[in-house]
Amino acid sequence: MKLFWAFARQNFHAIATYRFDFWLRASSIVILMYGIRWLWITLYTESPGAFGVSMQQMVTYGVLSMAINNLFFTGPPYYMAHQVRTGAIDLDLLKPLDFHLHMLARSTGEMLFRVLVLALPGMLVGYFLFDLQLPANARSGFLFVVALLLGYLVNFHLDYLLGLLAFVSIEIHSIDWVLHATSRFFSGQFLPLWLFPGLLGTLANLLPFRGTIFVPLSIYTGVLQGGAAAHAVWFQLFWLVTLFGISRWLWGQIQVRIISQGG
Amino acid sequence: MIHVKHLTKDYKRVKRREGFLGSVRTLFSAEYETTRAVDGISFDINEGELVGYIGPNGAGKSTSIKMLCGILVPTSGEVLVNGLVPHKNRMENTRQIGAVFGQKTQLWWDVPVIESLKLFRDIYKVPEAQYKHNLELFNELLDLNEFQNTPVRQLSLGQRLRADMAAALLHNPRLLFLDEPMIGVDIVAKEKLRTFIKEINRDQKVTILLTTHDMTDIEKVCSRIMIIDHGRIVYDGSLEQIRAEYGKQRKLVVEFEEEVPDFSAPYATLDKSEGKKKWFAFNRFETSPSTLIADISSRYPILDLAVEEPEIEEIVRTIYRGKPEATDIQAK
Repeated sequence: MKLFWAFARQNFHAIATYRFDFWLRASSIVILMYGIRWLWITLYTESPGAFGVSMQQMVTYGVLSMAINNLFFTGPPYYMAHQVRTGAIDLDLLKPLDFHLHMLARSTGEMLFRVLVLALPGMLVGYFLFDLQLPANARSGFLFVVALLLGYLVNFHLDYLLGLLAFVSIEIHSIDWVLHATSRFFSGQFLPLWLFPGLLGTLANLLPFRGTIFVPLSIYTGVLQGGAAAHAVWFQLFWLVTLFGISRWLWGQIQVRIISQGG
Repeated sequence: MIHVKHLTKDYKRVKRREGFLGSVRTLFSAEYETTRAVDGISFDINEGELVGYIGPNGAGKSTSIKMLCGILVPTSGEVLVNGLVPHKNRMENTRQIGAVFGQKTQLWWDVPVIESLKLFRDIYKVPEAQYKHNLELFNELLDLNEFQNTPVRQLSLGQRLRADMAAALLHNPRLLFLDEPMIGVDIVAKEKLRTFIKEINRDQKVTILLTTHDMTDIEKVCSRIMIIDHGRIVYDGSLEQIRAEYGKQRKLVVEFEEEVPDFSAPYATLDKSEGKKKWFAFNRFETSPSTLIADISSRYPILDLAVEEPEIEEIVRTIYRGKPEATDIQAK
């Protein structure tokens, strides 16, 4: 745990260098929150009752998804691809750290940093300006935090697996683009999954992306409650264990045949 | 400390075809070619040694060091670092070694040096007392306090290398790999780094393997030198030994009282002539400087004398070129 904080600390020190980048991100969150709220209010005014939940719930869902927008994509695949390409991966492997844990600590450090400087302030702004409701009860609130953490871990492992491809095929930017787009769509970040029709809905319910953003948001807004919420958390756990297993196995394969470039 | 026996590493690479269509074909059916980067090398390094590991580019230096670090799995052969097989115990092994790669930095680019060191303190779980003690040592020997609050990207190259050196030694490794740690550094900074390397070797008994292309580094710092070429160790011995074996050629510099015509002495050839000075090259096994001086002084009055030893760089150049002597020496 100390290690996670150690990496988070680095991000706080780096923020001084990238002040402009920080303000850009912060303001983009505000703009996105404003935009999604405006969109849902317009749609609800046009056809109330067409989206399955109350307008309050939908606005909360949308605004919250924008506030936590930045938490998940902390960039391990970019980091890994860069290290492999420049040969600096040697230096990572020279640390007395399990590589998987190292990447997790690095990513989580950045995530914790973003929680403090982007997500929490974003939620406060959402609460005061954009009709972001509080969760219905303490249980939902607690479960939301658990589900959000699990969602982060599921997303991290998807990213990590993508990053591992960099060891094999070197160039991952195009795959990353596809994964990113797929993930954002199927995670329910922009459109809640209950609005997906037919086959697309079935598919969205099976893919691990549902476990990243949709589950915590649905728990927060009270769309998933009681047994359904518990079931959704089990779904997240299932994917986390599966992806974790694949990650460990794949790294074992890769480590044997590592050929580091450069130097 | 280090035990290496018949260590070999083959790289399997996709054979590239020429031209656009060639590259497209490679996508579907790749041919592989195998290159042998390290070819059955053997050596032992004892605790506290300071070994210069040299060789031309692509000779297999980095590959062998990576195998010692445990980040590359050998194709065959034995390798033991302080009793551990590096690639089987990578994490344990990394605790006892430190490394500086001159061309790469392990520091965080955007944050002050001291913050990177704190991160390494947490990664290596360095006790607070040891951390403080080492920082004091680095302040004293590397002037770390002059730039510890500067972000790495604003450091000069010399400062960055000093910071990297501190990062590599923070966890008190028993073994230190320095892979071209002084590349591109100015003379003053170089001298500082050399002194530092010698001091930590002497005072803390850190075993050091130094890779460099600058023969002055070797001469000033190392007690033993290993030369690798085409994946094989072509020389392994002390500096004196290499001079004795290869440096048969000496030069006698004579300054005469006045300008004299060119001449050659028995077993010596006139190498260069400049005003009142003349350089005579001779093989020290064929004649001795004293007989040579006696002969020359019988001809003309001498003002001043000096015997020049061959530069180590010249010797190494001969070995790189693959003089047949090289194999003789390894056999001994």
